[in-house]
Amino acid sequence: MTALTFTLKAKPQFKLNCGGLTPNKLADLSITQIKTLALSSNSNAPKVSDFFEVSGEDASHIIFKNTCAECDYIGHHMKNGQITVEGNAGDFLGANMRGGQIICQGNVGDRLGDMMRRGLILIDGDAGAYCGSRMIAGTIGVYGKLGAYVGFGLRRGTLLLTQTPDTQATWLDCGTHSLPFLSLMFNSFKSLKSKFAKLSSTRVQRWMGDASQNGTGEILIIHR
Amino acid sequence: MILNGVQIDDTFAEAFNMRGTRVIITAQNLKWAYHAASAMTGFATSVIGCGVEAGIERELSAEETPDNRPGVSILMFAMGSKVLMQQLETRMGQCILTCPTAAAFSGVESDEKISLGKHLRYFGDGYQTSKLIAGKRYWRIPVMDGEFLTEETTGMVRAIGGGNFLVLATSQQQALAACEAAIEAMKQVPNVIMPFPGGVVRSGSKVGSKYPKLFASSNDAFCPTLKGIVKTALSDDIESVMEIVIDGMTFEDIANSMKVGIEAACSLGAKGGIKRISAGNYGGKLGPHHFKLHEILK
Repeated sequence: MTALTFTLKAKPQFKLNCGGLTPNKLADLSITQIKTLALSSNSNAPKVSDFFEVSGEDASHIIFKNTCAECDYIGHHMKNGQITVEGNAGDFLGANMRGGQIICQGNVGDRLGDMMRRGLILIDGDAGAYCGSRMIAGTIGVYGKLGAYVGFGLRRGTLLLTQTPDTQATWLDCGTHSLPFLSLMFNSFKSLKSKFAKLSSTRVQRWMGDASQNGTGEILIIHR
Repeated sequence: MILNGVQIDDTFAEAFNMRGTRVIITAQNLKWAYHAASAMTGFATSVIGCGVEAGIERELSAEETPDNRPGVSILMFAMGSKVLMQQLETRMGQCILTCPTAAAFSGVESDEKISLGKHLRYFGDGYQTSKLIAGKRYWRIPVMDGEFLTEETTGMVRAIGGGNFLVLATSQQQALAACEAAIEAMKQVPNVIMPFPGGVVRSGSKVGSKYPKLFASSNDAFCPTLKGIVKTALSDDIESVMEIVIDGMTFEDIANSMKVGIEAACSLGAKGGIKRISAGNYGGKLGPHHFKLHEILK
């Protein structure tokens, strides 16, 4: 079976809510049903087919193609399966995520993984402000640059970065270490179509926080 | 049956159902993996006094382990699941958590899971961190040398313990030489351990005792110094008997191991002082698994 694929027809003039297009929400729906789904709960909300070409049938792996910064809430409340974004994504990618994995090969907007509880998000490009905000657990990796307020209100979980973000008073530097679990994690990345598949160094700078929330989460900055 | 001049008794080894598990222990190098594994499998020769029977199964190269470091796999067996769980947790806490650079991973898949680091994580006093990687949950516990990494659970499987054979020789040195040859060969067989010191036991037991409080005592029929006074199983030319006990994951694993071991012991031959190979049993009434020597060696 081929992955269920949503190809954006044209860049929309307004924000699209893609939160309903997750493996768990589409698991038992036919292509026809998916095409007629509303993209938000508003009575006059656009339908999926108004903006996306839909193909494929395996809802456990969803691919978004040609997407842009107007596509918000991709992977919202996702519980299982995989989402691959072959393009950019908007705000709140993976917000409230409960499981599964999201791989984005482009840039993402603000509030990446907001209130995420479980799962894995890997971003090959840049992330906007408030990356990992209010995160409860899980893992977010960002290969590119980050906006302001990384890990704002984060309780637990891991932000895996390749570039040092702006320092904040509520994130405490715990030094540089070689962490053995990273070799397991990097092994699991090897089969993924992501820049993270090439990582091998387990040497990281470790920050803990967000202290404003008594958080015991971590930002790991990889020494390459 | 005669093998290289050595008589193989027409008898059988009697073995019991056990619960078993495998744990993979890795470390910065093999030296420290062995330190951890040796401690973990220490004082684990017999369930009678130790709770579990455990031993090192084999060395693992870095390519064979989950974290790409060198390691060893250990097998641990107990008479019931409750004892196995309790012993595993205790030994993890005292032997693996404490050992510099060591990490522990599940070595066997099963629907039945027992705790490896599930409860040990509380040592982290709130700073422990969980990570779900490729469907498996791991715990990272901050310790003074860095971070202790352990998988949350390992599998528990039905296994067999108490496979055995006896080496009867004309001298103590010759019996031990034959047993050493057998153990070296048996170490190459997967899925089994020989839990006694060096893999060899000299104090084989019989059921019961003249002392009411003891339920096992010295196997006098095979004690060479009692030949004249008890109903002995030894001929005049036997001066020493040693036993090799085997625990394994399946009947076939133990049978294969016994075959390899007996053939290695017999390779010293009658000229090397090895006179007979026998086996320990309780008349077939206690253990459901019977390893008949003649059938194994076919």
